[in-house]
Amino acid sequence: MRRSIRFNASGNFVPAAAMVAAGFLLALAVATIVYGTQFYTSQITRDTTIQARILASTVTAALAFDDTKTGKEYVDALEANPAVQAVAIYDAGGRQFVSFSRDRQSPPPSAAPSAEARIANDRLNVVVPVMQAGRKLGSVYLQTEIEPVGRRLVRFGLIAILVIMTSLVVAGLGVSQTDLANANTELEKRASELGKINAHLQVQIDQRERVEAALRQSQKMEAIGQLTGGIAHDFNNLLQIITGSLDMLRRRSARWDISGDTAHDFDRLVHAAAEGAKRAAALTHQLLAFSRRQPLAPKAVDVNKLVLGISSLIGRSIGETIAIETILAAGLWPVWTDPNQLESAIVNLAVNSRDAMPNGGKLTIETANAHLDEAYAGAHEDVKVGQYVVIAVTDSGVGMSKDIVDQVFEPFFTTKQPGQGTGLGLSQVYGFTKQSGGHIKIYSEPDHGTTVKLYLPRLLTVRDEIAESVQDRAAQVATANATILVVEDEEAVRASSVEMLRELGYAVFEAGDGPDALQILEQEPKIELLFTDVVLPAGLNGRELAEEARRRRPDLKVLYTTGYARNAIVHHGRLDPGVDLISKPFSYSALAAKVREVLEGPE
Amino acid sequence: MLAAVLGFLAIVGCAVPACAGPSLEWAIKAAYLFKLPPFIEWPGNAFASPSSPFNLCIVGSDPFGDLLERGAAGQKLGGHPIVLEHLTDVSQNARCQMMYVAGDPQSVAADIAATGGMPVLTVTDSQTDGRAKGIINFVTRDNHVRFEIDRAAAARDRLDISSKLLSIAVPGEPDQGAQ
Repeated sequence: MRRSIRFNASGNFVPAAAMVAAGFLLALAVATIVYGTQFYTSQITRDTTIQARILASTVTAALAFDDTKTGKEYVDALEANPAVQAVAIYDAGGRQFVSFSRDRQSPPPSAAPSAEARIANDRLNVVVPVMQAGRKLGSVYLQTEIEPVGRRLVRFGLIAILVIMTSLVVAGLGVSQTDLANANTELEKRASELGKINAHLQVQIDQRERVEAALRQSQKMEAIGQLTGGIAHDFNNLLQIITGSLDMLRRRSARWDISGDTAHDFDRLVHAAAEGAKRAAALTHQLLAFSRRQPLAPKAVDVNKLVLGISSLIGRSIGETIAIETILAAGLWPVWTDPNQLESAIVNLAVNSRDAMPNGGKLTIETANAHLDEAYAGAHEDVKVGQYVVIAVTDSGVGMSKDIVDQVFEPFFTTKQPGQGTGLGLSQVYGFTKQSGGHIKIYSEPDHGTTVKLYLPRLLTVRDEIAESVQDRAAQVATANATILVVEDEEAVRASSVEMLRELGYAVFEAGDGPDALQILEQEPKIELLFTDVVLPAGLNGRELAEEARRRRPDLKVLYTTGYARNAIVHHGRLDPGVDLISKPFSYSALAAKVREVLEGPE
Repeated sequence: MLAAVLGFLAIVGCAVPACAGPSLEWAIKAAYLFKLPPFIEWPGNAFASPSSPFNLCIVGSDPFGDLLERGAAGQKLGGHPIVLEHLTDVSQNARCQMMYVAGDPQSVAADIAATGGMPVLTVTDSQTDGRAKGIINFVTRDNHVRFEIDRAAAARDRLDISSKLLSIAVPGEPDQGAQ
């Protein structure tokens, strides 16, 4: 670059210098020719004058004493000089004494001429006096031929041609030097461009390697998710049977004739079994969350309001040694997400932060609007460019090394002592965020702390009322007398559900698949609610069954249940609008509340 | 001076080679007398001072009439005014730089001998006896007035004669008057 600048400068300089040099040579040649011409004239004038003076000085005695014979000898001696055209000697009276003429065309004048030196018709005429001891005895006239100007120019022409050729060579060298310099500049520019392209390519390669690593990680997570999702599905069915049975057992035991220690033991054991089932259900729930197969019920959510609502809960659960601060951005955009899952995610993060600060510290929950640009999206796997709401949870805890950060989202990965953690907390956060179309990023430095940022996509149009922070709804057991059709292929689960609903006071019909269910619907017009599993055998799934049923009975209400969200009523991890769902395993009270909600709800 | 001589020749009205006759011959000889000194160099002691006169002495009867008077009038030779002097005989005291000696060969020889050792250019006319010949001796060749030069005598008298003059001199009679 620097060299190319210098070449550029010399690129302009070289031809100019060559032109100046060529011009100088030409000027020199012209000057030489002019000077040579003048020099030649003065030289030949001087030579001729000298010859005339020699003659004048030798001829004195012959002239003085009228010795024409001797005088003629002197004059004729000049004939040997081919340039001499005519010679004459005149006495003091101007009369011609002796003369010589090479040709008849230009005879010497008969009387002594006066001019000393004169050029006429390519002839030089010189007249000098004949002196002896200070006395003028006469004069000598000498006429010589001078080379014509044309012939002299022809002689100089050779020089001129040489000079012109030299000038052309110099100019040509200058031009080729310039071309060379330009070519060099071009070459350097191309080399520089190539360097830039190479650097760009290197950046792309690095980026691709990062993306590929992220993709591998993401594929690994996906595989684990499928595995855990499958297990969780089966587990949920089993847990539904267990919890359903335990619920029924507890309710019915009140009517049994037992008392005292026996009753106490019975209650304790049932409670222990129910607790175990509940924890198993929580684990399965988190596994589903990680595998992104938990059914989400998204709403328009004001994140600030949600954070405020749970901060007191968090404050209670993380203890007094940790100060909690919430920094909520003004004008925060709404997001479209499942508020329950978001709460769970924030609580999970807070719990992790607490565990990272065994000696106390500070927990900060911050919200902000953010824009993820193309550069950021390019550097991270599965990130879309756009506007997001960020929830950043920061602790001043022990922090993590990069190796650990890379693994924290994997299910069952934990840095906690056995029994202190399930290793599913961050997996839930990860799964929920991904399922919500968001992005999660961890910044951590050992001994300084950790920040986890959740990016949830901005909701551009408010589709629903901003949801109230979800509160536990107390189960209100209705004594309804509505008629419900339960459709469930798994017999034990179906039995559990049927039992619970009958316990709740509903009249219940049951079917094992879609065709059976439709037949019962035909025969029993009293049925108000269709409670169906989403996954059904015999060609009709829950969704199709519900649609067919609604075509025949437009006023029929539908409640779905599933242990697994990857199916007909959940698209992209979200429930279709207007769909009611209760996830397995559900408790007696949850089922009661949900059924009542659906029955009392609008068409 | 030369102009005067030539002017005279012009009055006479004939070209030098074509003319013959005593008057023209003497006129040429008179002119030659004045033309000779520029080709001769006298020793330093020949003149008393740079402005002292150049004495042209005529010994014996003067054959030139008034030609010499007219030629010498107002003329100078290298700063020396030309003065004509007529002598009957040659005395040691006579201060002549140039001497035209006329007369019979015996007297001429005696006069020349009398100048022996002195820087005097002696001029004689048509002498044949070697002893009677001056340093310059006029002769006639091919109807032209020419002269012989006695280089030995000139050297003896410490006169330096221009080679240009020598080149047009005619050869003298062998060894006559050389002593």
